[in-house]
Amino acid sequence: MELYFDTAATTPLLPEVREAIAEVLDVYGNPSSLHRKGMEAEERLTRARSAVIRCLGVQDGRVVFTGGGSEANNLAIFGTVRRFAQRGRHVVTTRIEHPSVLEAFRALERQGWSVTYVAPDADGVVPAERVLAAVRDDTVLVSMMHVNNETGAIQPVEAVGAALRDRPTVIFHVDGIQAFGKIPACAARAGADLYTVSGHKIGAPKGVGALWLRPGLDIEPLVYGGGQEFGLRSGTENVMGIHALGVAAERAAAEVETAWTQVQALCDQLLAGLQEVPNIVLRRPRQASPYIVGVSFPGLRGEVLVHAFEQEGLYVSTGSACSTRGGHARGSHVLEAMGWSDEERTGSVRISLARWHTAADVEAALAVMRRQVTWLYELLGPATPSRGRARRRG
Amino acid sequence: MGQIIARYGEISLKGQNRSEFEKVLVQNMRRAVSPWPGVHVARGQGRIVIETGDHPVDPVLTALSRVFGIVSLSPVRSAGLSEEAIGAEAVALVQEALASGEMPRRTFKVEVRRANKRFPIPSPELARRLGGVILKSVPGLHVDVHHPDLTVNVEVRDVEAFVYGRTVPGLGGLPVGVSGKVGLLLSGGIDSPVAGWLAMKRGAQVEAIHFHSYPFTSERALQKVESLAQVLADWGGRVVLHVVHFTEVQTEIRKHCPEPLTITIMRRMMMRIATDIARQRGLLAIVTGESLGQVASQTLESMYTIGSVTRLPILRPLVAEDKVDIIRRARQIGTYDISILPYEDCCTVFVPKNPRTRPKPDEAEAAETHLDVEALTASAVKRTEMKVFHARRGVERSLSGTP
Repeated sequence: MELYFDTAATTPLLPEVREAIAEVLDVYGNPSSLHRKGMEAEERLTRARSAVIRCLGVQDGRVVFTGGGSEANNLAIFGTVRRFAQRGRHVVTTRIEHPSVLEAFRALERQGWSVTYVAPDADGVVPAERVLAAVRDDTVLVSMMHVNNETGAIQPVEAVGAALRDRPTVIFHVDGIQAFGKIPACAARAGADLYTVSGHKIGAPKGVGALWLRPGLDIEPLVYGGGQEFGLRSGTENVMGIHALGVAAERAAAEVETAWTQVQALCDQLLAGLQEVPNIVLRRPRQASPYIVGVSFPGLRGEVLVHAFEQEGLYVSTGSACSTRGGHARGSHVLEAMGWSDEERTGSVRISLARWHTAADVEAALAVMRRQVTWLYELLGPATPSRGRARRRG
Repeated sequence: MGQIIARYGEISLKGQNRSEFEKVLVQNMRRAVSPWPGVHVARGQGRIVIETGDHPVDPVLTALSRVFGIVSLSPVRSAGLSEEAIGAEAVALVQEALASGEMPRRTFKVEVRRANKRFPIPSPELARRLGGVILKSVPGLHVDVHHPDLTVNVEVRDVEAFVYGRTVPGLGGLPVGVSGKVGLLLSGGIDSPVAGWLAMKRGAQVEAIHFHSYPFTSERALQKVESLAQVLADWGGRVVLHVVHFTEVQTEIRKHCPEPLTITIMRRMMMRIATDIARQRGLLAIVTGESLGQVASQTLESMYTIGSVTRLPILRPLVAEDKVDIIRRARQIGTYDISILPYEDCCTVFVPKNPRTRPKPDEAEAAETHLDVEALTASAVKRTEMKVFHARRGVERSLSGTP
C-alpha cells in the first residue's frame, strides 16, 4: 500500500491534469506566432492566467509564469530591489523562509544591501509587530512566506499587508507556495504586492510556477529577451506546463473551501493519533495549516525514520530534506530559529496531507508510525532524559 | 595506420609464469580497446604491439594507460629494414614533434637499439648517420645529447624497425586476474575503494562485499556503493558486488551484546559473513581499507580480535598510509567525490558512547554468548544479493599525477 504523506515536497499529477497534458501536447504553436497555431497556444496561456488569478482570490493584476516557485521568488526579490533601488538599501525578511528566498537575500547582502531577518516565536509564527518594527524609512521590500513548509505555521501576512498599505513605498512580497490552492483567496487575504505560487504542490508537474503582481506594479526582469510574460520573463512559454498549472489551479479553486474543512478533519485525526506514538514531541503553531504537521522523535534520526516508514509504504520528509551540503545533513534552520534542541531537530519529520487523503489513509499512516517508532525506540532507546514522556504543547 | 608498443617490465621477470601473465595482460588490453573494432593487440619479443588501424592513436593510448601491468607505452612508426626507410620515418617523427610544439629549443638526439644483430650497420654508426639525415632534411636543428627536446628512439627488430619519440607511463603492477580473487569490504567511505584499487593493481580480481542496513542506511547509500564498484570495474574490467542485508545482525547485536563492544562484534560478524562468501566464491583473502590507528576500531588489538574469527589472510594495503595520502589517491582514482556524498554507512548508525578501543578476543567471545552467531551468519549469507559491474565503454579514466 502506498501512503504518500509528503505533498508539501511535491504532489502526484491530478488525473485531470494528466489528461490536460496529453491533450495540450498537440498544441505545438508558439504563443507569439501571428498565425492560428500561435493563437491556439496563446489561448491556453490566457485561460491559465485567469485560473491562477481566480485561485489567488484577486480580481486583476498580472500573472508571470516562471520555471517554478524558486524562480518566482528570485524574480520577486531581485526584480523589486533592482526597480526601486533609489528608494533605499534595506530589506526585511524572516529567519524561517525557504532557501529560494533566504539565499536570494544573502546574495543581496553580499552586494551591500542591509537585510533584517526577523525571528519567529517558539511556535514558528513570526509576529506581525516584529516584522513591522523592522521596517525603516529606507526599506524597499518586505518578503515573508504565507505558510511555513516545515511547521505549517500560518504567518500573519494579513496584518503585515494591511499595515504596509500606509507605506506605499515598501513593496510586500509573499511566498505563497504552501498556501496557494489551500488557503481560500490566499493573495487577496495577504494584501500582497507580489505573490509566489508553484505548480507541483497542487497536482501540476514540476518546472512551472508563477509570480502575481498587483495592478500598476512594475519590477525588473531577470531574463531579458523577446519580451514574453509582460517583458518580465522572456523565452518561449512552457505551454504544456502552464496549461497544466491552470487546470490544477481551476480544480483547487473549485474545491478550496471544502478541501480545507476535510483536511482539517484529517489533521485533527492525525494529531489525536500522534499523541499515542511514544516519545513524540508535537508542537502546533497557534495558527497552522492543516496540510502540514511537523513532529520530532528525540534520540532517533529523521533519515532513519523516513526509511523505516518507507518500508511499510509510508512516505514523509525529514525536517530538512534539501540541507545535505557539507558532508552531513544539517538540522533545519527553521526549527533552529524556533529554539528546538539538536536532538529534536535531528529527530524531526514532516507529515503533509492532501485533500485526496481519506480517514483510512490517516489511520494506516498512524499505525505504521506507531509500529516503526516503537520498534526503533526499543532498539535504540530514547537518548533523552525525557524518555517515555511525551511533551505536548499547543 | 598507427602503432603503439606497450612495455611490461615486472612481468618479464616472472620466469615460468610469464606466458600466463602475458596472456592475461593481452586479454585485459583487448578488453580496454574493445570500443574500437579493428584495433589489434599482439604479443611479440618482450613487448606487446598494438595496431590501431584507421583509429586515431591518442584515445587508444589513453585507454591502455589504465590497464594494470603496463609499465609504459609509446606510439611508434614502423619502417622497413633499410637506412633510407628508417631515416624517412625519423625525419617524419621530428617534423611532427616540431609541428606540435614539443621542440621549443629545436634540439634532439638519436638512440639506436639493435635487437636484430644481422642488421649490417652497428648501433652508434646508425645513430650518427640518422642524425645527419635529420639535420640535412630539417633546417635549424641542433644535436644535444644531454638534454634534448626530443629523443628519436630507433629499435631495429627482425622484420622491421620502430621509430618513436614519446613514452607515456603506465600504471605498473600486475594484470588483473593473475593473482586470483579477493573479497573487498567496501563501505562507501574513502579508504576501502582505494584498498580495492591497490589490490587490483597487484593483479587481484576484486569481489566487493557491502553491508547494507536499511532502514538505518538508505537506498542512496547503496547507490553510492554501486557507483564505487562501477569505478573500480572501470579500472579492473569487472567487479562483483555482494550486498549483505545486515539489519538483523545489527539489531540482534544491539539487543544482546554489551554496548562498548558492539562495534567490535559487528566487525567480527562482517568478517564471518565475508569468510562464508569467500568460501562460496573461491576468494583467497579479505581486503580492507583499514589504516593502523586511524580510528578507534583500527587499533592492533581490534585488528587481532576481529581477525581471529577468520582463517583467511586479511590484506590491508593502506595499513601504513596517512589519511591525506589516501585522500590524494582516492581523488586520482576517481572515487573521492563519490565517497564524500553524505549518506550514512552502517558503521555510523549504532555508535556506542564509550567503545572499547583495545578489545581482547576472549572478551569479545564472552560478549557474543547470547548472540546466535551461526544462524545470523548463515541467514545473512543466504539473503546476500549479487550484482556484476563491467568497465564502461568510452569512460576516460586516467590517473591525474602519480599515485
